[in-house]
Amino acid sequence: MAARQVRIVLIEAAGVALVGACFAFLANALSTKGLTLSRNYFPRTVVTQTNAVISRATNTATATSLGQRLAAVGLKLVDQTFVAKAFEDSKQQQHSIIFIDARETRSYEQGHIPGAYQFDYYRPEPHLPVVLPAALVAESIIIYCNGGDCEDSEFAAVFLKNAGIPVEKLHVYGGGFEDWAKHNLPVEVGPRNSGVKK
Amino acid sequence: MGEAQPAGGGGATQQRGEEMNGKLENFAQWSGTVIRILIGVVFVYMGLSKALDPVDFLKLVRQYDLSFNYWMLNAVAASLPWFEVFCGMLLALGVAVRGTALSVASMTIPFTIVVVLRAIEIAGAQKIGFCSVRFDCGCGAGEVYICAKVLENVLLTVGAVWLVAGYGRRAAWRYTLSRPGQ
Repeated sequence: MAARQVRIVLIEAAGVALVGACFAFLANALSTKGLTLSRNYFPRTVVTQTNAVISRATNTATATSLGQRLAAVGLKLVDQTFVAKAFEDSKQQQHSIIFIDARETRSYEQGHIPGAYQFDYYRPEPHLPVVLPAALVAESIIIYCNGGDCEDSEFAAVFLKNAGIPVEKLHVYGGGFEDWAKHNLPVEVGPRNSGVKK
Repeated sequence: MGEAQPAGGGGATQQRGEEMNGKLENFAQWSGTVIRILIGVVFVYMGLSKALDPVDFLKLVRQYDLSFNYWMLNAVAASLPWFEVFCGMLLALGVAVRGTALSVASMTIPFTIVVVLRAIEIAGAQKIGFCSVRFDCGCGAGEVYICAKVLENVLLTVGAVWLVAGYGRRAAWRYTLSRPGQ
């Protein structure tokens, strides 16, 4: 009798798991925010497991390792001095130098480098029609995210490189928005070119 | 003069015993129902908060380094939150209770182990006490202290086991999917 009950429970659990899995994948497919199963969201050269865990755990991605990863795919790592200088350059006003913010909308609208284009790497479709033409025309593109162990700027740079943007134009600002704000540099809130400064 | 106990006396004791057992069983069933609905609501809430922002959950799942295969990573991040919602709804409504509770326990136990292991790594890396570790474990509640999270998960697991044991039948829509009499 007990064995029979156990069997019934196990069969029931298997049924719940099967139907639940179908429900889950269907819900993901129908959701506007659903993930694309076939997409590699983290295109990365091999990182050892230990280093990756401790790096993420301690919230520090060393500039050396980031620089090495970027160099491996032909990208350049730049610092705050380079970025501030580029911001002040007159070419920035002419859109020959552009900034791309690789964060999601809420972070972007809370504060970004003035004039920066938003490019949510994980949901690029809404941004591509605006970002790609601007990137093709620009002479220099500086991509950033939060800084620290944020990898989104790195992934966004690789994405743009694969989308046809010449690699020599692409620069990744490793310090990110946190570094920018720490130096009391101008910050714009809301949509791009809102003119609302923080 | 040595008269035998009237049959009614032993019968009354037995009856009282049966009444007590009945009350205990009733209490156990109703407490199981409360636990069932509570776990159901928690799972629906936690699942939805992750399902509505799967990218964030994907990044959190990645931090556990369980698999470098992106198909598997995406499948887990895409399906797990909605599966939690599904199980939560079944429990809240009282459908296939024991099977669902077993599924819940099957998720909660390994997840707790994985979270504890990660917390140990963080504690070692940051040289802080285990209970001082605070991070977003991907549970749907944001950053939490590990000890509180472990306690919460243990309670959820114990609650799920209580349901698997057969409690929580009261106010259940279809407690078991098996045919009546099984």
